[in-house]
Formats: sequence, C-alpha cells, structure tokens
Amino acid sequence: MTGRNTFTRRRLGRASFGGAALAGATLLGAPLPLRQAFAQGAPANLKVGLLLPTSGLQAQIGQACRRGADVANDVFTDMKLPVKLEIVNYDTETKPDVARTQAEKAIDAGCHILVGAFDSGQTIAIAQVCEQRGVPLVVNIAAAPQITEQGYKFVVRNFPTAPMLITGALALHKEIFKVSGKTPKTAVLMSVNDTFGTAMMNGIKALFPKLDMPYELVDTISYDAAAKDLSVEVAKAKATKAELLLPVSRLNDAKLLVQEMVKQRWEPMGVLNPGAPGLYEQDFLKTMGKYGEFMISNVPWLDPKSAMTASLEKRHAAKFPNDQLDLNGGFTFEGILIAAQAWLAAKSTKPGDLMEALRKIKIDQHIMVGGPIQFDSKGQNVNIKATAVENLKRKPTVVMPLEAAAAPLVFPMPAWNDKRRT
Amino acid sequence: MSLLARLTDGVPARSLWGLGLLLVLLLVAPALLGKYGLSVLILVLYFAYVGQAWNIMMGFAGQLSLGHALYAGVGGYIAAGLFFHYGIGPWAGVFVAVLAASVAGSIVGYLGFRFSLAGVYFALLTIAFSEFTRIAFDHWGWVGGSGGLFLKVDATVDIPNLRGGPLLFYYVILALAVGAFVVCRVLLESRLGRYWLAIREDPEAAQAVGVPVLRCKMIAVVISAAMTSLAGVWNAFYYNNLFPETAFAMGRSIEFTLAPIIGGLGTLFGPIVGAVVLTGLGEIFTDLSELFHVSGLKQIFYGLALLVIVMYRPAGVWPWLAERLGFAEKRR
Repeated sequence: MTGRNTFTRRRLGRASFGGAALAGATLLGAPLPLRQAFAQGAPANLKVGLLLPTSGLQAQIGQACRRGADVANDVFTDMKLPVKLEIVNYDTETKPDVARTQAEKAIDAGCHILVGAFDSGQTIAIAQVCEQRGVPLVVNIAAAPQITEQGYKFVVRNFPTAPMLITGALALHKEIFKVSGKTPKTAVLMSVNDTFGTAMMNGIKALFPKLDMPYELVDTISYDAAAKDLSVEVAKAKATKAELLLPVSRLNDAKLLVQEMVKQRWEPMGVLNPGAPGLYEQDFLKTMGKYGEFMISNVPWLDPKSAMTASLEKRHAAKFPNDQLDLNGGFTFEGILIAAQAWLAAKSTKPGDLMEALRKIKIDQHIMVGGPIQFDSKGQNVNIKATAVENLKRKPTVVMPLEAAAAPLVFPMPAWNDKRRT
Repeated sequence: MSLLARLTDGVPARSLWGLGLLLVLLLVAPALLGKYGLSVLILVLYFAYVGQAWNIMMGFAGQLSLGHALYAGVGGYIAAGLFFHYGIGPWAGVFVAVLAASVAGSIVGYLGFRFSLAGVYFALLTIAFSEFTRIAFDHWGWVGGSGGLFLKVDATVDIPNLRGGPLLFYYVILALAVGAFVVCRVLLESRLGRYWLAIREDPEAAQAVGVPVLRCKMIAVVISAAMTSLAGVWNAFYYNNLFPETAFAMGRSIEFTLAPIIGGLGTLFGPIVGAVVLTGLGEIFTDLSELFHVSGLKQIFYGLALLVIVMYRPAGVWPWLAERLGFAEKRR
C-alpha cells in the first residue's frame, strides 16, 4: 500500500539532509549557551520562574513588576543579546505561605532560576526554598536588610536595602539644595506607620545625625496606613512652619496628603520623598493632575541615557500603552537580565553553575541609574544609586544626578496656583 | 471503659479502617509526593489544625471568634522572640507562648462572657483585641516592631531548635493535627463537651439546668487559644519571619475559620475536609489562573466555589459526605 505519507529511501535521504542542514544552521546561529546546551544535551532554554504578587493587596505593583519582565525578551532582541528566556509566571497572592508553595512548584516544574518577589516577607519565604533546594534566587525588589544578612548561598539582591535607600536619598538632598541655591532650614517628616514606613522613619531618625544635614528635623508625624483623612496631621505639620516636607507614603495616603496640603494652602519650599513609593506612581499623577507636579522622589530610577532603557521604554509603551514604566518594572526587567547574563556566563542551566556565574557577574549595560550590576560577598548589589525623580508634565523625570538628568531641576516647588502648574 | 474504647464507641468499623488508612497514607506521603506536593500537604494540615482549634470555640461552644490570629500571632512572636534574643528553643519557648496566648484568651473571654457579649458583639470584641495587639506589636522594639522579626535560616537539621527543611515541619504539623483530632474527640466525649453543646444550642436553657456557662466558655476559649498559639509557633519557625500586619491580620483570622465552616462546624472531620477542599480548590484555581494568564482569576472562582458550597451544603461538606460514604456515627 502506498500513500502520501509513505517514506521512501529518497524522501528519507532528503528529509535527513534537510533536517541536518536546518539543525546545523540553527546550531551555528544559536547563541553560545544554546550551542553548549545542544552539545551537552542539556535543556535548550533557561527557564526562569517569576514570582510576584499579581493578585491580593499588592496586585497593582506586582502587575507593574510583571510588565517589565513581559517585554524582556523583546528588549534582549533589540540589544542583540543572544538569549531568549522561557519566563514562567507564578502568583504569590501577596501571601508568604503561597509564595513558598509557588516557589516549590516553580522548581518542581523545572525552573533553573527564580526572580521575585517584591515584598520582603514573601521573598524570605522563597529564599528558604531556594536555599534548601539549591536554586538561585534573584531578588528584584525587597528592602529588608536581613535578606542579605542571613548568609544565604543562593540569593542575590539587585535592590537597595532600606538604609541604602535613605542614605542615598538624604545625600541627594544636599545636591538638590546646592544646584538650586536654596537650602531649607527646617523639615517635617510624615510617615505611614506600616512595616515599610516605620522602618524608613526609624532609619531616617538614626541616620539623620550622622549625615550632617543642612536642615533641622522639627517634627515626625506618623499616621495609620488605613487613614481616610489626614487633615489633622497636615494641620500639625503646617503649624511647625517647616520649609520642607519629607513624606514616607504609599499611594492612597500620598493622594490624601497632597489634597489636604492644597486645601490648607500649605506651600513648603518642597516635597522631597526620601525613598518611598506614592508620589511617582501613575495613579498619583493621574489623580492629582497639576497638584502632583514638581514633587520629588529620591528613589532608584531608570537611566534615561541608557540605550537599553530606551528599548525597554519603547517596547513597554508598545505593549502596554496605558501603563507607565516605573522602578517596579525596571528592577524586575533587570532581574530577568541578570538571569540571562548569568546563563550566558555559566553556559549551563545547572543551578550551581548559574550561582557561581551570579557571584562573579559584572553587567555594565543595564537600565537603572548606577554602576555595573555586581554582587558583594553577601549577594547585595551595592552599586545602585539614588536619583531625584521630579514629576514634570505628568511624568516622573530624572533631574539628579546631573550626569543622568533628563530635565533641569525645578526647586523650590511652585505655589499651588502658579502658572507653571498646568 | 478504657479511653480508646470510649473514643471509638459508636464509630463504624469502616470509619476506623478509613482513619487508619488515612494516617498511614499521611505518614508515607513525603515519600510519594514531590516537594511541591509536600508543601501543599503542609498547608492542608496547618489549616486543618488551626481549624480544629477554632472549631472548639465556634463549633463546640458556639462562640464566634473572628480574631484568632491574635493567639497565633502572640504564640509565634513569643517563641520566636525567646529564640532570637536568648537562644531558647521553641520546645521550651512554646510553654511561654501557650501561657501568653491563654492569658490573652482569658482576658478576651472574661470580658466577653462576663458581660454577656454574644454573637457579632463578641466577634467584634475579638477583632478589636487582635487589632490593638497588632498596633502594640507594631511599636514593640523587642519583636522588631513593624519592621518584622527575622529568624536566622539554617539549612542544617536541628530538631531541638526546630530548624530544618519541610520534612521536619511536615511531621510536626502532622503530629499537631493528629493530636488536635484526638483531643477534640476526647473533649467532645467528655462532660465538658456535652456542656459545650448544650451552651451552643441554648445558653439560657443550659444555665437553667445547672451548666456552669461562664466557666465552660472560659475553658473553651483558653483551650482554643492555647492550641492556636501552637500553630503560631510552628508557623513562625517554618517561615522564619513575622510581621505584625500579617501575623495579626483580619484576613488571617478569616482563613482560620474557613476550613471548619466549609467542612462542617462542630464536627471532628469538618476542619480536615474543609482544609482539603479549600487548599485543593485553591491549587486548581491557581493552575487555571496561570493557564489563562489572568491574575486574580483564582480569587473569583474560589469565591464562587465557596458560595456554591455554602448555598448547597449549609451544614458543611463532611456531614453530607459521611452519610454517603457510610462513615456517619451510629446514634446511641
């Protein structure tokens, strides 16, 4: 019986030749780790488990993080980085117990390296699994110093610790005053009293005397994370006659804070966020409109002068036209980049080899402001720099350090009814 | 009659065989399951255990507590704090933890029961205590304040200090779950258990026939708080970090109540079946969310599934299941 699918020797020969030629061409054209993988019979792709809180309380930020990873392979193509990663998403639901289970699931599913998980509690839960199973974890965002103080052998962090954030932010304040020629004499610190806020507040109080700041901290006002009204707190802050407001806020309380400042006509010389979220977030900018302008956040940010940032911004804007790319997406992208570079260096998907490569890694071309990505003996990247990001034309814009600035600094902050606010 | 005979009195042989088989399966489960499966099973046992502890309050004595995270949080923090600051291992620290949680339970219970707070008013009291304890812990430096308390993680197995991998914690939580099951059975079969059921059905009538209502309710809250604090200690050493905003969260208290409510309030197997159903459904919906790439899909389906179970099986899954499997206890 003959049929269309019957193989003849001739057809077999052609098929074999064609297949071999195709395989050869693929192999030659493939990036080095792929070639190595083919040669060793190892898995062809690096499988990255991305663990983020994409549902639950931190869903909004978790999804912002994920968008940075979603365009990573496209950016690698733009940058001619010879990798294409298989990125598998896992939702931690903003719960440490789920984070732990999902980490086990990711490793069982064959992930060679994990990236995540935005929050310190969830990250530590994942770190324990990675430590026990010998799989590398690249921390994208989590500020608790303990993560790199525990002696973990399989964890690296590409995000500043809370003390690093504060030190960097306060150092930049001096630069802002120097460049603008205006130095406030007094400041008031207002902080949300959740885990992050309290850690930041205590850190600021502890570091303040050591950093020889040009202004005096006249009062510290904390408020509940679930506060629905900040009129009393703002009135109290206004009564101090402080020339500078240092808010440590989240998103919703940042909105309440500014609304109340406008209502009470409190116009300090500036609002300088010493490393917290809130003021630079898309929702804040949309909701506050012109009143959200000229607020400055001292946080790590995307380097506007990096070619890789330009590619990431282009790809992000094309895929997510309604969403702003911020440090959450930026650091998560860098987490994926670190995994890719570790794979390129290790030429293997074995966890031990990847970890060894991570320890020695030095990535000059990346997207966040700062020196090359490399990790110290504890697994901490100490080269991340704080920036001053000012809300200009409804967009967080790097204004300091000067070598990375995309626009000139505006300080002091214009009055609420100033014509520059449009 | 011996204790064993009393415990098994009226239980069909089929149920006893089923129980034995389940125990054997649970003992050998780590060898049969992968690491992920084991981590899921650990969660099932954890929720079964805390559900059993909560069931004593609500299922047996009829007192609605929505602040049980208080006892788990206090227990976990005390044992972890003693270990962190003084190197006192959890096997010793657990006594202090249980004592502290029992005292907390006594205060909540006395205030509620002495002043005849019942139903939602008692529930509000439990929430209030949990909330202000959270605020107090947020500002208590000894436990790390809101910045959290972190235990040193060590990959080596150190049983005296409850340090080790998931296998160690699996057997500890299995022992706790089995222990809780037996304790609850003993309590239910005791005079105290009968008093609790009488109070649950009609406190005024119980009091009228001489049941010491206040004392029985106090015993319920103290036992329940003590058992919950054990779960808190286990949880603290398993996850190695504690934050007030999660340890005392209202959401956590609600989680504790779900397994017994879904499984069957006041039943011994209810919390176990509820934990299996809830965790199993959770994992299935997580997989579906990942399959369809829709974040939050799990929560929607999970909510719908709970709604269906509550609507069509208001007494819980276990009584219905037991009837069909022939596991229902013979009436004496």
